[in-house]
Amino acid sequence: MLPFVVKRLLQTAPILLAVALLIFVLFSVIPGTFASSMSDDGHSVLDTQVMERMNHELGLDDPVQVRFAKYVGQLARLDLGTSFRSRQPVATVLAERMWPTLKLAFTAMVFAILLGVPLGFLAALKPGSLLDTASMVLAISGLSLPQFWLGLLLMYLFALSLGWLPSFGYGDGGFRNLVLPSVALGVAPMALLARTTRAAVLEIMNADFVRTARSKGMSEGRVVRWHLTRNALVIVLTTIGLQFGSVIGQAVVVEKLFSWPGLGSLLVDSVSLRDIPVVQGCILFIVLFFLLINMLVDVLCAVIDPRIKYS
Amino acid sequence: MKVRTNLLIGGTLFALVVAAGVLAPWLAHTDPIMDANLMNAELPPDHEFWFGTDGQGRDIYSRVLHGARISLTVGIVSQLINSVIGVCLGLSAGYWGGWWDDVVNGLTNLMLAVPSLVFALAIMAILSPGLTSLLIALGLTNWSYTCRLSRASTLSLKSLGYVQAAKMLGYGDVRIMATQILPNILGPIIVIGTLGMGGAVLAEASLSFLGLGIRPPSPSWGSMLSDARDQITTAPWISIFPGLAIFTTVLGLNLLGDGLRDILDPQSRARRA
Amino acid sequence: MFGKFMTTAGLAVFLAVSAQAQTETPRNGGTIRFTAPYGSSFANLDILTSNRAQDEIYAKALHRSLYNWDAVNKKLVLELATSVSVSDDGLTYTYKLRNDAYFHNGQKMTADDIIWTYNHIMDGAKAYPGARFIRLIKGAVEVEKGQAKEISGLKKIDDFTLQMTLTERVEPGYYFFAATTSIYPASEAVKADFASHPIGLGPYKLAEYVPGSRLVAERWDKFYQPGKPHADRVVISLMGEASARDVAFRNKEIDVSILEPAQYVAYKADPVLSKGLLEVAEFYTRVMGLNPTFKPFADKRVRQAINYAIDTDLIIKRLIKDKAYPATSWLPTSSAAYDPALKPYPYDPEKAKKLLTEAGYPDGFEFEWTATSNASWGVPIVEATIPMLAKVGIKVKIKPVEGTVLSEVVRKGDYQAFLWSLQTGPDPLSTLKCFSSATPQSACNYMLYKNQQVDALLDEAVATRDPAKQIDALKKVDAIIYDDAPVWFFNYNKAVLAYQPWIHGLQPNANELAVQNYEDIWVDASSPVAK
Repeated sequence: MLPFVVKRLLQTAPILLAVALLIFVLFSVIPGTFASSMSDDGHSVLDTQVMERMNHELGLDDPVQVRFAKYVGQLARLDLGTSFRSRQPVATVLAERMWPTLKLAFTAMVFAILLGVPLGFLAALKPGSLLDTASMVLAISGLSLPQFWLGLLLMYLFALSLGWLPSFGYGDGGFRNLVLPSVALGVAPMALLARTTRAAVLEIMNADFVRTARSKGMSEGRVVRWHLTRNALVIVLTTIGLQFGSVIGQAVVVEKLFSWPGLGSLLVDSVSLRDIPVVQGCILFIVLFFLLINMLVDVLCAVIDPRIKYS
Repeated sequence: MKVRTNLLIGGTLFALVVAAGVLAPWLAHTDPIMDANLMNAELPPDHEFWFGTDGQGRDIYSRVLHGARISLTVGIVSQLINSVIGVCLGLSAGYWGGWWDDVVNGLTNLMLAVPSLVFALAIMAILSPGLTSLLIALGLTNWSYTCRLSRASTLSLKSLGYVQAAKMLGYGDVRIMATQILPNILGPIIVIGTLGMGGAVLAEASLSFLGLGIRPPSPSWGSMLSDARDQITTAPWISIFPGLAIFTTVLGLNLLGDGLRDILDPQSRARRA
Repeated sequence: MFGKFMTTAGLAVFLAVSAQAQTETPRNGGTIRFTAPYGSSFANLDILTSNRAQDEIYAKALHRSLYNWDAVNKKLVLELATSVSVSDDGLTYTYKLRNDAYFHNGQKMTADDIIWTYNHIMDGAKAYPGARFIRLIKGAVEVEKGQAKEISGLKKIDDFTLQMTLTERVEPGYYFFAATTSIYPASEAVKADFASHPIGLGPYKLAEYVPGSRLVAERWDKFYQPGKPHADRVVISLMGEASARDVAFRNKEIDVSILEPAQYVAYKADPVLSKGLLEVAEFYTRVMGLNPTFKPFADKRVRQAINYAIDTDLIIKRLIKDKAYPATSWLPTSSAAYDPALKPYPYDPEKAKKLLTEAGYPDGFEFEWTATSNASWGVPIVEATIPMLAKVGIKVKIKPVEGTVLSEVVRKGDYQAFLWSLQTGPDPLSTLKCFSSATPQSACNYMLYKNQQVDALLDEAVATRDPAKQIDALKKVDAIIYDDAPVWFFNYNKAVLAYQPWIHGLQPNANELAVQNYEDIWVDASSPVAK
């Protein structure tokens, strides 16, 4: 297993490099600069000298190839550069914002798993039943709402009308503040997991080896326990791994709505203010996180089902 | 049995939305852009304005109908681009293998690793808001599943007898791919495409929320919904109707996709048999 | 029935405002739960690096500058000095500094700190936005260019006496009240972690900062104003989403919220919420800038026609929900040189059509209008003008951009028309100097304005030592600009701050309502966080 992990880790490097290059290319042609963002609120204009000096200080007046060389040089030393805006190392900025996002993403996924998997499982045990139809309609409805609208509706219902939960912010980082944003974020993966679980269980129920097991006289309960669980788990785990990516992506919207101090809101801010080192850092972090989660999923799958080979 | 229900409801909903979009110029009461009268701003639904009016005094009913055209264009065209890219790359990679396969695999992993919304966000910031930018941003960022699926299916079909036979007959690679393999892998791809269309409609709404959506004043449901978020208590109808329109469309597409999967997906076909 | 209700609501607003002005005995203690509404983060905690309104919101708690803005009397007051004398030529200012101002590390402020800070801002290797203000001091430019080590126009007479020589005869208060010229402690500010552990002279000192979420500051006991600050702590939450702020305010989770038009109308109609609205005419003018290099806009008649063709009043009433005042020219109503005799362009499509015909555009023309998505000065406004302009044959193509791009294209002149909210105060002279033909487009002459009469009047305003004459000259400039119509005059912002009933002592700051002197705010016992 160890060689597999090492190999996968090595495969990560070119992907990260490719992402870094892609982001660099995209953001070297973007209109607007950090200096011009300083007066985007019309509040007080920057004078021309200061703007020029700012561009010089940030190295933005260098030709593209020079900037690119500098950037690659930095990356080679595992240095993400310095934020234009906060004037701190990007790594420091990311470290401050990383935990809130991870917390949010994990809570959202836990919510999705705890609700979605049992729902899909139950639906699959009695296909065509009322329970099946109801849970699938529920799941698909969850998939069909724009996230920010769902978030707003949750805010109005649970914070304003019922007064159960705070409507915004990080608070002390505790559970109460976490509930609404993670539900808003978790509904879509919940729905997908419910559907995937149902399909996976159904698929395997009808598969040959289960039929064989049944014909051998194993009791229905044992069939369910032995084979279904293990095989479905592999499929469900893979879905979870892939869903992490889109959860982190959607966090951009949810964090902005709920004033959640995570990477998503940092990314949106940094894009609109052209704080390019932070944009690069955020995206690289998100990609790395996704790759690691999926590697973990692959390893787990192999542990659960020894028939899967490390390829 | 459930299969039919899915297909029937999903198909009906989607057909309704398509019909609304196609017939918008005839069904709409007013022009969605020019017929703004600030004197009529934020009127609740009544017999004249069926869905009420928005902050600009425009008829929401007419805007929702015209919005169907834009939102469906976004959904269908961007997903079409995704499907074409995904199928071309996946099919060719699976068929030819070798270094090309490695390249495509790398690209696919790259696309999978960058969340599509984040990618689209970056592209929209660079291209500046508008329909074309939106189609590019959403069309280039969501083809990885299609690509993986086409590659996997091609790999399993490649060694089958009739493909080998076509090779013996001296058919060209492209011809074999187009005539022998493509028709046999189309089913699952259509399923993914249907679901992807719903995803694109939702992504348009998210981008609008982030201020990077369609070019106003064109009515798209996402931008209508996003613009109305400040008025959700004072004039809820402004957001409810475009919200329902998105919900109906995406629900329809998802049900349709599920229904199609049961029919078109070879594995589930085998299961029923 | 409806009419009566509106009257009572209006009365309630009036009563609320006058109640706010009343002096009751302030209560000490409690927490002020403030909000920073212009985005979801602060830049950092080094206020010298950022000139954004958002960052000024926390700076007012932690830092102080030489001057301050007296919001009630709309004038500049000395903050870190107790008196000032001016030489006969009007160029040398001698400040008697406070001897009771302590930095948050307990150290007393002296003239050295001010001199160090101003020199620091002129560091030519760093881009500090405040440089544009310090440049007023003689010898500052030399430091910026690296030709001198210290600003020659700054002289320490003794620890608490500072002499400052200016290059121009202007009111220095307008320059040295900016947050980007906040005074830092000379010995501390050089430390590497200063940006994360800022030390200032403000009424509150930093207690906790969660980037992207909130900043908490605690009462500074050695603050120089006796008996202040009143509250024990200030929590500033970062909340860029107006709809989320609305929920939090109604849910009593925050004490103040800057309102958007949609909420303004809802709060005004609410019998309870309407009692807590603070309204102020801010120094912001919202205009559509017209680029004279785009052929139709080179003609004054076309520019005037646009002003006649748009029903500005209707847009302000129905779309902005009266959260603005119709613009009568460039200078806003709060400005010292505002001329109440000027009246806005009336809505007159016939006249607009006539002017367009005279100018050679009987069938109109098409232009591209660059705007951001802002609700009060962005795309929604453009959308509302589209049918109005269409009536006189003018077609509009919207070019939606982000604020960052807008400020770039406007400065480069890379636009046909733009919609923006521009700061037009408090200093009427520097505001109108943007219309001098000597001001480059990249500075603030965005519409490449050129008018010899205006140039002469501006020279006169600079030269005169009689404030009344200066105001007079500036009023004339404003009237010429009105007639020349280099822009579509849209509105002056009415900023509205909603506050909970237990909050007292908010100031009608016309510079930026969200920027408050926290030491004057107090919280009564009915607050959920009164303890």
